[in-house]
Amino acid sequence: MASTIGSLGAAEAVLKPFAKAINRPQPERLEVSIHPDDLLAAVRALVDESWGYLSAIVGLDRPGQPVTQGESQAEGAIDVLYLFCSGAAVVTLRITLPYSQAAIPTISGITPTAMLYEWELREMLGVEVIGLRVTGHLILADDWPVGVYPLRKSFTGFNQPVAGAEGA
Amino acid sequence: MAADTNKFVIPIGPQHPALKEPANFEFWVDGEIVTGASVRLGYVHRGIEKGAEARTWTQNLYLMERICGICSHVHATAYTLGVEKLAGVKVPQRANAIRQLMAELERIHSHMLWLGVAAHEGGFDTLFMYSWRDRETVMDLLEKISGNKVHYSANLLGGVKFDITSELAAEIHKGLDFLEERNHFYMKVVTTDETFIGRTQDIGTMTTEKAEFLGAIGPTARASGVARDIRVDAPYLIYDQFPVKVMTHTSGDLHGRFIVRINETFESIRIIREILDHMPQGELTTRVPRRIPAGEVVSRVEAPRGELLYFIASNGSEKPERVKVRTPSLCNWSTVLSLAIGLKLADMPMLLSGIDPCFSCNDRSISLKRGQQGPQVWSWEKLRQYGIEYYR
Amino acid sequence: MVQQTLNSSWQNVLTKVTAWARINSPWAIHFNSGSCNGCDIQILATLTPRYDVERFGIKLQGSPRHADVLLCTGPVTMQARDALLRTYEQMPEPKFVIAVGSCGLSGGVFHGCYNIVGGINELLPVDVFVPGCPPRPEGIIYGVAVLLEALKAGKRPEPIQWSGSGLDGVLHSGSGLEDHHG
Repeated sequence: MASTIGSLGAAEAVLKPFAKAINRPQPERLEVSIHPDDLLAAVRALVDESWGYLSAIVGLDRPGQPVTQGESQAEGAIDVLYLFCSGAAVVTLRITLPYSQAAIPTISGITPTAMLYEWELREMLGVEVIGLRVTGHLILADDWPVGVYPLRKSFTGFNQPVAGAEGA
Repeated sequence: MAADTNKFVIPIGPQHPALKEPANFEFWVDGEIVTGASVRLGYVHRGIEKGAEARTWTQNLYLMERICGICSHVHATAYTLGVEKLAGVKVPQRANAIRQLMAELERIHSHMLWLGVAAHEGGFDTLFMYSWRDRETVMDLLEKISGNKVHYSANLLGGVKFDITSELAAEIHKGLDFLEERNHFYMKVVTTDETFIGRTQDIGTMTTEKAEFLGAIGPTARASGVARDIRVDAPYLIYDQFPVKVMTHTSGDLHGRFIVRINETFESIRIIREILDHMPQGELTTRVPRRIPAGEVVSRVEAPRGELLYFIASNGSEKPERVKVRTPSLCNWSTVLSLAIGLKLADMPMLLSGIDPCFSCNDRSISLKRGQQGPQVWSWEKLRQYGIEYYR
Repeated sequence: MVQQTLNSSWQNVLTKVTAWARINSPWAIHFNSGSCNGCDIQILATLTPRYDVERFGIKLQGSPRHADVLLCTGPVTMQARDALLRTYEQMPEPKFVIAVGSCGLSGGVFHGCYNIVGGINELLPVDVFVPGCPPRPEGIIYGVAVLLEALKAGKRPEPIQWSGSGLDGVLHSGSGLEDHHG
């Protein structure tokens, strides 16, 4: 446990210049909120320090207010979480992207393993990954409709009406 | 460039005789040598992450278990550990011990299954039949404990369903004795059989640096000398009381992957015996609330194929806000596609099975296609030179 | 064409011989249309020494063009749908379909997921359903035996009825394995 706290401390020191907010949801986790523009620099700093490895990229859809009939929806946001692991320690870089600016630069130039996760993020949540070389469908069927992102909360399957089914 | 115009594409799949799971591979070959590889997955994508958001916490337990029919227990374990952490529930030690015992039994079953399939891909069907015959011993043990051979459903939120009685413990001991003996035999076959060594040694070699660069995990990485194992790095369940030894190998080739997995089987047998001899007493379950407090949690466990990561977010209701699963097979795909280049087409099935791919795991959410650009590109001259050298 | 020129007694003998051959050595092909692997491994386990279906003449075959029986596992996903249909169409007549596992019957635990088309019988005419999650190897062998039994009687299996209790029972219309040691 001592080494975990030590390595979290090291990560905190590295990420401090980019942090908008820092918290520790669990003893072995450090969560750092950063601005999308700082992403590349923050990842670069972690990698240069040889701190752990990229373990996953998680996309979280956080829609605005629940939709009421006829009204337009308040703009939601997508949280993109980059999980780096080193031993038991987990560092999360959290980026919040409003729907209208759902684009992030690719970090696959720094850690090549990110390519898969970014691809998944783009396909499942509709976050544009700038600079990602790959195109086309990844996991979804070849005849999947354009512009439908299954992990968005507004997507509730093909059988039900899309609007008004919030929170099902 | 020349390689682009001269490529001959061999499509394999999605229905194909070698692997029992659907995936579509394309190998670009020049003569017998592979010059490029791509894979289209997604045939098993079912939309589980989305489905999880429409099911209650308990229902999801059974959904997660069915992400994969080989390592179902670890999926359920990772999920329950995450949910229990969110709920702030402390699970009785006996329940943790039984979970760990099931997980290690499952590892034995998975590694023996893999040994058989990999041998089959190498044209060594005798070993395939042997290892699958002996694997039935583990399956029987799992069935005796839980009542089912594949999806054991041993986990509950807050504990386990099945107890290990002293009669069961005796049976498990007996089964393990048999398995240990058989695994010594497999080790002997794998390390001494000329033909087998010819098919595995120096095939698909991956250095430690390359393994780390490509993000390999699990036995695939450990065979390249990357000592990374969540059971040791971040002990969960009661791996802190019953620690495992990380099995590594330095060769980095297919042969090393065989040795690492067989060694891990021995290690699992040792751990199970230790747990059975020092089984903590106590309750099997504890109460977990129906609504899980809001929060986010990361849960990591070591599946037979490598690190399995669950990210679970709760909004305080009866259903999860988001469950993200990052399965080990996914991480290892890039290793195969990059190692394939320059090998013979006949080695592809062995190489593919070398990482122990599990499509139902990774198809929940990914597919991968690799272009011919990048450092793996072989120029026409280089390829030709290689061919000349090879057949000299 | 050739058959029309044969006289009827020869025709009868020929039909009997083909039926005999088919029943005594059905070749199966396995297709995973979105399964979790559990059923697939159980199907594979039927080939291994403990169960050894080859002693009944049942053989798992790699190419659909050589197969009589399609063993299909898993709910049908959108991406696998076309591949499944193509595999089925490539099989020569007469062909039979066995749906293995709860998912193949109805979508199972994945029912309602967006990428699931449904059970196998939404796409293909299924002759035998083998329930279970996953079914035991014995259950799968029994499913094939039910199909063969029906073929022996010269018809396809009849509409489904519950055969009995137990998770690993087989939905069927015929009788058991007993007569199939030939």
